[in-house]
Amino acid sequence: MEEVDKDQEEASEPENQQDTRGASEKLEEKSCRSQPQEEQVEESEEIVTPQRILNLQRDLPTLVTNIQTAADAKESMRRTEQEKARRLRLERLENDAKSCEEHFEEITKGWLLANQKRTPQELQEALNNQQKLCSALIEDKKKLNNELQQELRVGDDRFVKDLRKHAEERDLMMERMEEQIKTLTKEYREELAQLEEVYQQESEVLLMKDKREWEQVMKRLLDKKQERQVQRQKEVEEHQVKMHTVMLKSSDKLNTFQLEHSETFQVLERKCLHFDTTSELARLEQEKQKYDVLLHRFNLTQMKSKTVSLKTEIKNLKAQFSSQEEQFAARSRQLPEHYKRNIQQYEQAQKKIKHFAGASVRKFEQMWLMIEEEVKQLVDKVLIIDSLICEQSLGIAWVRPNLPFMEQTDPTQKQAQSSTHQAVGNIDTSQGGQRMMDASVGPTLETDTDIINVNAYKEAKAMQSESAEDEEEGKLTNETLKKVMELLCDEAGFLLEDKLLNLLDPLEKEKQTVVKLGSLLSALGIKVEEVHRLAHFLLKYKPQQAEQTEDVCKESHESISKDEEMGTSCRRHVTSELIDPNHVLPALKSFLAQHVRSSFQHVAARDPSELEAYWESVGNIISEDKVDLWEAAERELNQYHVVLTEISELIPETQSLEQQNAELRMLLQQSLQSIVNTELEMPLP
Amino acid sequence: MSRSSYHPGANLNPAKDYRRGRRIIAEDPDWYLTLVPRLSKLCLQSIIKNFEVRQMFEELKPSEKEFVQEGLSTSLPLDVTANWITDGVYWKRCCEGRWDLCDVSHYGNSWKRMFFERHMENIIELFIPEVTETNKVLDLVPICKNYVKRLDITQLLPPIKEPQTEEEEDGLELLGNNEGPSIDHFNFNILLSKLTNLEELHLVYRVKQCGMNFEWQMFEMTDRDCESLATALKSCMTLKLLRLHESHIDDKKCRLLVKHLLDHPSLRKLDFSYNLIGDRGTRAVAKLLARSKLETLNMCCNEIREHGAKAIAHALSNNSTLLSLNLRLNRLGDEGGQAIGKALLNNDNNTLLHLHLGGNTLTAPTAIALAKVIAQNKTLKGINLSCNNLGVAGGKALEEAMSYNTNITECDIRQTEVDEQSVSFINQVVWKNKSSEKKKKTQENKSK
Repeated sequence: MEEVDKDQEEASEPENQQDTRGASEKLEEKSCRSQPQEEQVEESEEIVTPQRILNLQRDLPTLVTNIQTAADAKESMRRTEQEKARRLRLERLENDAKSCEEHFEEITKGWLLANQKRTPQELQEALNNQQKLCSALIEDKKKLNNELQQELRVGDDRFVKDLRKHAEERDLMMERMEEQIKTLTKEYREELAQLEEVYQQESEVLLMKDKREWEQVMKRLLDKKQERQVQRQKEVEEHQVKMHTVMLKSSDKLNTFQLEHSETFQVLERKCLHFDTTSELARLEQEKQKYDVLLHRFNLTQMKSKTVSLKTEIKNLKAQFSSQEEQFAARSRQLPEHYKRNIQQYEQAQKKIKHFAGASVRKFEQMWLMIEEEVKQLVDKVLIIDSLICEQSLGIAWVRPNLPFMEQTDPTQKQAQSSTHQAVGNIDTSQGGQRMMDASVGPTLETDTDIINVNAYKEAKAMQSESAEDEEEGKLTNETLKKVMELLCDEAGFLLEDKLLNLLDPLEKEKQTVVKLGSLLSALGIKVEEVHRLAHFLLKYKPQQAEQTEDVCKESHESISKDEEMGTSCRRHVTSELIDPNHVLPALKSFLAQHVRSSFQHVAARDPSELEAYWESVGNIISEDKVDLWEAAERELNQYHVVLTEISELIPETQSLEQQNAELRMLLQQSLQSIVNTELEMPLP
Repeated sequence: MSRSSYHPGANLNPAKDYRRGRRIIAEDPDWYLTLVPRLSKLCLQSIIKNFEVRQMFEELKPSEKEFVQEGLSTSLPLDVTANWITDGVYWKRCCEGRWDLCDVSHYGNSWKRMFFERHMENIIELFIPEVTETNKVLDLVPICKNYVKRLDITQLLPPIKEPQTEEEEDGLELLGNNEGPSIDHFNFNILLSKLTNLEELHLVYRVKQCGMNFEWQMFEMTDRDCESLATALKSCMTLKLLRLHESHIDDKKCRLLVKHLLDHPSLRKLDFSYNLIGDRGTRAVAKLLARSKLETLNMCCNEIREHGAKAIAHALSNNSTLLSLNLRLNRLGDEGGQAIGKALLNNDNNTLLHLHLGGNTLTAPTAIALAKVIAQNKTLKGINLSCNNLGVAGGKALEEAMSYNTNITECDIRQTEVDEQSVSFINQVVWKNKSSEKKKKTQENKSK
């Protein structure tokens, strides 16, 4: 049975257990463990990585296998013990068997002895002995049995204990294995990390190295490249230069060749051209000749036609000229007639003017008187009104203001004087005019001019008494006058018409001047009697002129005058002294301006200041104070008028009211009467 | 899923049907026009739907295959899917649907292989002799045989209890008679010859989670089991690895198994760990070692004593294939250890890389013998002498030997009463060797 037990233990052998010895083993293990750890550290420092792992791989399993070996050792011990125990047991069993056999033999002998004994006591005794022996044997056996059973029990117990220990060991092994796995994985990881690091470093180092090498190589390469490039460039440049030179050479050659060619070509061309031009010239000459011929022919024909046309034109013009001459002759014949007719018309117009002038003067006087009368009446009226206002409305004693113009009619007389004066002038002129008209009745122009001159002379004489100017005029000799007139005619000749001049051409010089003067005076609107004045003015004009243009003209005047003195007569000298022919025109101009002015003021401004004063005195009968007074009075009176109108308006109302009152009174009386009547009647009926 | 709305049977709901005619369904916030699937998708869906009737897979494009694999129901019968659907998402879904832990790397990164191996394991593990019909397993064979490369059976159920209880005592009595009434487990004879791709077989004759119904027989391999298994193993020509552990194999059974395994053409690894094999059985294994091309032999935790060790040492002295020998937790003793040491020393063609002699009651003489081996041998890389009472002298010998050695990268001398200094020295040498080896490897890698 025990063997079976053993076998069982053996069967579950693979994991075995530890014992007291195992504990000591553990300590050793620990020491073992610490050692490799140190080594690990050292090795990790050395970075001899595989060795460390190897150590780990070697050492860690030993921890596990230690258990196994311990178990093995124990097993082997157990086996030896068991063998010993078995041997002992077997010996014991053998001994027991031997003793048992002895006992048995004894018992069997005892049985034989018992057969020899006859007496029951002896037999009883032998039986007892036998029984004792048997019981002893049985007891021995039992004892043995018990012992064996006890051993078996112990064995069972041990088995159970062993099983437990096995379990514990298994757990321990598992634990250790797990630990081992953990540490190993950790180590492997570290290892891996380190390896990676190392490799990284190595790779980095290598990379750096490679990079450096690469860079160096690249640098070298670049340098080489550059060198080569430079070389190449140089070569290229050389080649270029070569090429250039070659090109230049070739181009030169080409050029020279071309030049030669072109020269030859040009020579040829020139020859060719020469030929061409000669031929062309010949041709052109021919053509030109032809053309010239043609041109000449054409010109000739044209000229011929032109001469023909010109001839015809001349004829026409001649015809025209003759016709025109005829026309002009006819016209010249007609024009004197026309002139006579015009003069007649002019005389008639002069008569009419005189007539109208006398009529208008008369009308003016009448008008004056009438207006004056009206004014006087108005003044009276105003004075009356003033007096009324003053006396009636203001209660002021009215004094009649002094009115000189009311009594004296001098202004009219003065007016009459002036008008008579004018009228005398007018009459003179009219007389002159009539004389002129009488003279103009003369058949020819020459006589007419003579008459004019004579008249002018006479008139000048007549005017001598009337004004100082006239007196001075009188001093002027006829000759000087004549000279002046001539000068005037010469200077102002441009004013005359060309035709007239043409007409006058054939006449004598004196006649010419007379006609010219006449036409001039007529053109300037200067009357014949004013000729003396004009002459005088012209003579007088010089000093004015001198004053005006003293600095500018004096020397020239003197030089001129001197020159004139030298060459001309003394009369001429006088005239020249009187007036410079250059100053005739401006003098004439100024005279005309003056003349026109005076002629306009002739009537209107006879005595304007006097008239104005007269009319103002008339207008100022009522003084300004009075006017204010009047205005105030008017205002008052207007108010008063308004009041009066109101009153007048109210009057009919009051009248109506009075009437009403009267009616009412009437009614009252009537009613009173009626009441009385009724009262009276009442008792009556 | 939305599939239902496109299912012809979904016309039962008129409202839903009416909705299908509309372009916009405002009351449904999840509705989206683009959710209306494409015709190709609909076709694929119909293919998925009708996969049981008509299998269409190989004709599809890779993306479509993917879609089908995603869409197929995992509940489809295996005879439909097994030969039609290639390894991929579908099998992943099947695996993840059935088991929580799925480490596909253990199965050569093939979900299909994983599924079928585990499926078969499950069926065998839950097979109850005389209750479950053998057809259940046999039906599976044609489906699975192409995909099953390894069977890792962690339990084999015994027949139902009643007869078992009766026959228990008989069984015990008749253990040696070979005529016990049937308390045998699943008969591998019917299976192994048919699994043409099987390479590994891991077997444990035991019952998991037996609870209070514990009986020793549950953890035992019967003689008939052994016979049937032996013949089955012989018939399985592709087998490379046999692991039969914790199955109460004694000398007799071991001999029987080895007898059938002799001259096996492909067997490379043999694991009889945690059994009751004694010297006789070991002698048989040594014979096997001499006659086959075993590369790995694991006899740990058995009852091998000096005779067995001598037999193995004898076999080892002529062997030129074995790479790893594990005799942990046996009773070799100094005689056995010395014999092995001598064998290793004498054999020039030695290929042994790993030697485990832990827990074998070895003492200083063995250590001295092995020290010679360590000093001379150039192939040995790992040696484990833990849990042996080598003593200081042995440690010294080993230390001296290690100083000449350059190839041992593993040397376990824990629990051997060796002097601390020699332990540390040995460890240093080991580390040095290890690092140099690593360098070599890296150099080799680099040179490659």
